[in-house]
Amino acid sequence: MATSPSHSSPESAIIEQVITEFFAKSLHIILESRSPYVSSRNYSVDQFMSSPSSSCSSSSSMPRDKWFNLALRDCPAALENFDIWRKSNLDPLVIDIVLIRRPLVPDVARPLGGCLLRNFSGNRDLALEPKSWKIVERWIVQYERHKSSSSKNHKEIRKCGTKNNGGSSCSSETAFYKKTYERYIILFRSLYVLIRLLPMYKLFRELNSSGQICPLSLSHRISSSIQPFTQEDEAKMNQFTFVPIDTPRGRLSLSVQYLRTLEDIRSEPSAPLSLQFILDYVGSPTTDPFRRLKSLPSARSSPPLVSFTRQHSWSNDHGALASVSHCPSVACSEARGIRCNPSLCLPPLTHHNDHSPPVISESQNAAVTHKNNMSFDEFWPSPFSPTSSPSSPAHLPGQRSPNALQSGSSQIDIAKACPNTASQTQAYSSEGKQQIKMDTLRCGNYRTGLTLVKHHRGFPSGKDDTEKLAELPSSSTQRPRSKSSSGLSLSDKFDDCGFACPFADYKDVTGSCNRRSPDAVIGAVVRMLTTAAPLRQGLSDLCRPSQVFMDESLNPCVQHDQDNTEQSECRASTSEILASVLLKSKTAAEGLEELRRYKEMKESILKRGASWSSDVDSGPKVCRQ
Amino acid sequence: MNCETCQLKELVVEPPEIREVLRSILHTILFHRALGLVRPKDVECELFDIIYVQCEDHELEKKIDEKINQFIGWVEKHPNRKSQVCISFYEVKNKHATWFGNKIERFYWEQWYINLHIVSPKPHGKSHNTKAHVVTGENAFEESNSRCAALGSSLREVLLQIINFVNEKKDHIPPLQNSEIVSFPYEISTPR
Repeated sequence: MATSPSHSSPESAIIEQVITEFFAKSLHIILESRSPYVSSRNYSVDQFMSSPSSSCSSSSSMPRDKWFNLALRDCPAALENFDIWRKSNLDPLVIDIVLIRRPLVPDVARPLGGCLLRNFSGNRDLALEPKSWKIVERWIVQYERHKSSSSKNHKEIRKCGTKNNGGSSCSSETAFYKKTYERYIILFRSLYVLIRLLPMYKLFRELNSSGQICPLSLSHRISSSIQPFTQEDEAKMNQFTFVPIDTPRGRLSLSVQYLRTLEDIRSEPSAPLSLQFILDYVGSPTTDPFRRLKSLPSARSSPPLVSFTRQHSWSNDHGALASVSHCPSVACSEARGIRCNPSLCLPPLTHHNDHSPPVISESQNAAVTHKNNMSFDEFWPSPFSPTSSPSSPAHLPGQRSPNALQSGSSQIDIAKACPNTASQTQAYSSEGKQQIKMDTLRCGNYRTGLTLVKHHRGFPSGKDDTEKLAELPSSSTQRPRSKSSSGLSLSDKFDDCGFACPFADYKDVTGSCNRRSPDAVIGAVVRMLTTAAPLRQGLSDLCRPSQVFMDESLNPCVQHDQDNTEQSECRASTSEILASVLLKSKTAAEGLEELRRYKEMKESILKRGASWSSDVDSGPKVCRQ
Repeated sequence: MNCETCQLKELVVEPPEIREVLRSILHTILFHRALGLVRPKDVECELFDIIYVQCEDHELEKKIDEKINQFIGWVEKHPNRKSQVCISFYEVKNKHATWFGNKIERFYWEQWYINLHIVSPKPHGKSHNTKAHVVTGENAFEESNSRCAALGSSLREVLLQIINFVNEKKDHIPPLQNSEIVSFPYEISTPR
């Protein structure tokens, strides 16, 4: 920190420190509200103070974030930049907030820092547009030294002394410093409020909180020189200047020039993207299976058993079995492709997860500024990145929230699809009911999602689109990862489970799922079928034990003296047969038809519940046979 | 000591909007006058596209909400009227002994007048014609949206007006005497 040799007194040191902190605080407030959170370095006040790069920390008498009585959360971008910039308090601090517009790469499923995007634009030969950027705000923090030593500040100091009933010069100076510090406090209050009223803040929040890929991104540039705007740009900008605050030897000033409106930028055309559904989306158990998305392509081409290898993030602790019981067949799951799994393919009888349609917003914020090692006067581009602010978790549609998706593009990404391990699923055939239940629970421990990319003019808005899609409620342990999309990239998640990115190749995904856990698929199907009504005439005898079992649940008066082992053995043999019969590819329509028929049969069975009681007594005998 | 007065731009509001409008304005003013150590909290208006800032002080929030409820109660009894909510900052001077006891004097150094014109929401036009009723309903909806957007814009202007006033006038503010969040005693006055 530059200090004049003629002002080496402790008082001067304090004044210099206050001036330095003024710059730091300004930078902190500005970047906190304009620079998307960088999760690469997690700063804390203690870390900063012990950082060797911060020469000010050793002399700071209080933690940085409490300066000027405004406690702010850590902003790594500000702290890094300040360390780099701070060479002299005499140099102005010019902070340019830059809005970058870059087109999305067409027809390429490429990882964008771990975030995958599939653009099925009709124009597959669309050429890449050049990147464009625009300075939307310019903040200037300056310290101007007084040329004359006998500045008006001496009058101010004397005035403070007069107000203090003519105290000594020392007390008058102290009063002056206190008054000055008070003005700093008020200035930063105003700055904090103003920065949130400017047009850019709304865009910042949209980009920072939404888990969407957007052609717009925010970045910043710090310099010590002021490059004038063109006349045309100047005409579009407003200016606000805070009243300069006098110090004993100079004056601190803060001003901002900002674009009056962002409509011009938002209205600029950009490459449109067509809707594309990833066919292997698996939704939530609360999804209404009869609610079809009209734009869904035919599921005929979807390979079988895909959905049963998809694991889900919601917890199935309390309802998996019951919810599974109504799935009519594998066909239902297979054909649906996008939305099916053992616990999903059901009318939500238990409503154990009463959620609105799922929105999986997985770290798709393209507005993150990557910067760890930036040099002074360097421009920081903001590439698309899956990381986003952890402080702004995504919200479910329908919830009132600043993080709510708004008009523009919407995207729900496949967060993670980790098939169950073979070791877990193999157990079902031998262990029976308990293991089946465990498998069911594990099925809910992974996430899948749907990627819908739609680009509108302006900013992303997934509200209408996402409401149409099934919601994927995540388990309590995994919900923060799926909603806040904080800090982790999709590539990291995929690497964790060793699963190939589902965006890369749909067939590869399904194939890998098949290879990895066929038993899990069979187990899930069997579990559904054992508690379901028979679908085919030939299976009616085999299904009697399941019907008896189900009927027992409806008639609590029936004695439960059956051996669980016997039931599991019976069920296991039945399930093997059923699995072999039912592992045929079916279309979604057939699956739905079967489900409907099953429902009708279920109703009829319920009506005849009383007549089964006599059969129940002879049930074990039938099973043993 | 001078008492600085700020008359804020008049806002035309409907009763359901009173709470949001007053909250945003009062919290913004108090955020600028609560000079103790604060951890600012962003609050997004539910009705308007505005984010204002408040101090994370429960007592302060509670007091403001009480006053707003008081005002809303008054509005319900006196609909369709112009009214003011005043927030004043003062200093308590030495008590003066009088014949009737100790008298506490308040020296007001700043007063903010929030001018509101309360209007009742327009009822939808009645029509026996279904189509016309639908069209009327749509028009009313659009009109309501545009009115709300205009109010949001006016509210933003009021908040900027507060910032300008705070920015320009600082000399009249008394020195900080304590380290509490709410540095200066204040009172919020509503019509009675």
